[in-house]
Amino acid sequence: MQLRENAMRIVFMLAACFSIVAVFFICFYLFINGLPAIAEIGPLNFLGGMEWRPNNDIYGIFPMIIGSIYVTAGAIVVGVPIGILTAIYMAYFCPKKLYKIIKPAVELLAGIPSIVYGFFGLVVIVPLIQDAFHTSGNTVLAASILLGIMILPTIVSVSEASLQAVPDSYYEGSLALGATHERSVFFVCLKAAKSGVLAGVILGVGRAIGETMAVIMVAGNQAVMPGSLLSGVRTMTANIVLEMSYATGLHREALIATAVVLFVFIMIINLSFSALKRKEAKS
Amino acid sequence: MKAKKDGVSLFLSIVTHAAAIITILCLLFIIAYILIRGIPNLTPSLFEWEYTTDNVSMMPSIINTIIVVILTLLIAGPIGIFSAIYLVEYAKRGSKLVKVILLTTETLSGIPSIVYGLFGSLMFVISMGMGLSVFAGSLTLAIMVLPTIMRTTQEALVAVPDSYREGSFGLGAGKLRTIFRIILPSAVPGIMSGIVLSMGRIVGETAALIYTSGTVAQVCTNIFAPGSTLAVHMYRLMSEGLYTEQACAVAVVLLVFVIIMNSLSSYLGRKLAKG
Amino acid sequence: MNKFLKGMLALGLSATALVGCSSGGDDAQSDEGTASGAITVVSREDGSGTRGAFTELMGIEEDGTDNTTSSAQITNSTSVMMTTVEGNSYAIGYISLGSLNDTVKAVTVDGVEATVENVESGEYTVSRPFLVCTTEDISELGQDFMNFIMSDEGQAIVEEEGYIPRETTGAFTSNGASGDLTVGGSSSVTPVMEKLAEAYEEINTGANVSVQQSDSTSGAENTISGVYEIGMCSRDLTEEEQSKGLTPTTIALDGIAVIVNKENAVDNLTTDQIKQIYTGEITDWADISE
Repeated sequence: MQLRENAMRIVFMLAACFSIVAVFFICFYLFINGLPAIAEIGPLNFLGGMEWRPNNDIYGIFPMIIGSIYVTAGAIVVGVPIGILTAIYMAYFCPKKLYKIIKPAVELLAGIPSIVYGFFGLVVIVPLIQDAFHTSGNTVLAASILLGIMILPTIVSVSEASLQAVPDSYYEGSLALGATHERSVFFVCLKAAKSGVLAGVILGVGRAIGETMAVIMVAGNQAVMPGSLLSGVRTMTANIVLEMSYATGLHREALIATAVVLFVFIMIINLSFSALKRKEAKS
Repeated sequence: MKAKKDGVSLFLSIVTHAAAIITILCLLFIIAYILIRGIPNLTPSLFEWEYTTDNVSMMPSIINTIIVVILTLLIAGPIGIFSAIYLVEYAKRGSKLVKVILLTTETLSGIPSIVYGLFGSLMFVISMGMGLSVFAGSLTLAIMVLPTIMRTTQEALVAVPDSYREGSFGLGAGKLRTIFRIILPSAVPGIMSGIVLSMGRIVGETAALIYTSGTVAQVCTNIFAPGSTLAVHMYRLMSEGLYTEQACAVAVVLLVFVIIMNSLSSYLGRKLAKG
Repeated sequence: MNKFLKGMLALGLSATALVGCSSGGDDAQSDEGTASGAITVVSREDGSGTRGAFTELMGIEEDGTDNTTSSAQITNSTSVMMTTVEGNSYAIGYISLGSLNDTVKAVTVDGVEATVENVESGEYTVSRPFLVCTTEDISELGQDFMNFIMSDEGQAIVEEEGYIPRETTGAFTSNGASGDLTVGGSSSVTPVMEKLAEAYEEINTGANVSVQQSDSTSGAENTISGVYEIGMCSRDLTEEEQSKGLTPTTIALDGIAVIVNKENAVDNLTTDQIKQIYTGEITDWADISE
């Protein structure tokens, strides 16, 4: 009996360690395949290089790093305010009947495959931008708007859940002190739900920076520094998918190295987020 | 009764409503768009058993999708649930190991699917010699959905009142018995909703599968054969520009899949709330 | 309840506004043919077989350097290329002749129309080979399928699909081998290969050919490692690949059509003009219309 208890305890522990093993293997395989390429190209030339010309063995991914940052920042500008406000609407303003429609609808939006979003962006958003600005529509702007829409469900559902978790007494107390409904919601409840909302935003940012299939269709994918909101852009994810199929040798390794950089980016975001959380928990 | 609205409150009220309207409009627009483009192209020939270049049937891909979902859950389910049990029932809060596990799980949930795809292709397909196969794809996806299953199971387990545990121990049951007979059954709806969430993610995944399970539109005869899931099938139909209409029809079917999955998960959620 | 009504009203209003916007957009697009405006150059990704052939034939690639302008949009999919050109009056792109349909307009190059006949006769010069590669240890079944592809029947299918057939080896007689055969590689070759496999399975009922779509490079690599028996490539094999024992066979030629938006007034481009557009020397359609 005791033996079985102990055996199962070990089984549970091993299962729990699986995620550690998985992360280790992911690091291992990516680094083993990507780092030699970085070393061969030279870390500075690779990370800081302004030109990406695989045919001539020039591999600089700086424009792509900037591209990823631009597009993600754009998605934040578009998606975060709308997302948080929608969450507030759903938690505090929404009539019950409407809530019953919006809630599953937002969940539906979260489940739509990204390739469908990409197609939607290509035939709806891109032509709209074309007509509005009389330039090519495959731009930073198009990618930002599309990603903004794509991260909405994540931000809305996580923020909404944390807003719902704020005790009613907070809201009631604020009302009793004479604040309006809106002031109570924004200055008391939203403040109380801050860390949950932040978690939603971080999740959304993660999704935006890692999105591939949708971005590749609307971003234009020029491997140059985007000059403005209306110029094309290539993200790191797009770079990988675009060229992986034909790449051989150093080119292929350079693409894997791009994935390494992307991976490190995500790690930095996650680590800084959990550091933030820890700081919050302490204070 | 109500406090009189000042300028700030009015402004806040307006932006909130505006944001909600934008969200709802985006949503209606996208769904309407998919339906309008897709439904006219939904023909019976798209559901024939055999894929040929004439009917570009999606039936084999639907079957592959189901196989991949089952395989992935068979791998990720037990591991995810067991590790959640360890974290909730066994591990000491705040121990080094728990911290590392939580950190790696968070990392896993943040990794972009394209990176998973590359990793799966490097490790399973090339290094371990599985070739492009449904099994390699399922392994890759299993790692990808593991954090989701772990997190939801953990939440469900924590929500089980301690009085259950105490009652079971008090009656003389061992820890293992308590877990499997008392705690897990009452956490089932929560665990299920996590599993349904992961199913949604598996069904919609493209980038991680292209490099691991291949794009062949045939039913995989064994798990070491390649086969495309529905989302990959759609990607493939789009890529050469020959079958765009059919791709739109696939999008509708994908949408239906998602709706089914969501209603299932919210049904389970309600059941959980009722206890 | 009042709030609910207000919300619904606002929703309705903005919906009308949105509809208004989009119909307004349509009006703007239905201008008569565009003859001036900044050109949107769309190209394929580095390493794509289509791009390789296009840049080489147009003289965009010189001394091994691809001079495609860095402001060119890049896509990895024929479908995205076509949708982009379909939706953008100022765009120019290029696709495989087999994928061409009436959503876009193919321009004549140096006055020659992009048709199968013109590629076959050699008048339309923008084309690339579709290759299959094999190793020496090809099975009897693999050899039989290869024979079928190069026979009258096989090449007839190639032509039917809009590609340019090669010289045939006469009528096909099967050697009767049976079993499973895996063919894989380039996504450009896949559509025609699927047709060929279906026709072959009808003749040789004992054979089961599965066609895997990936890409030219993995097509070649997997053939070397034995995963595929026959690999498909939409570009020439590299020397490294040939040194590892791959033998290329050209099964068809594929014309590359230069496409513009249907609104575009330009019907003909010279090779030189295309080169200048893709190298960024010409950036406005106004400089084209003679």
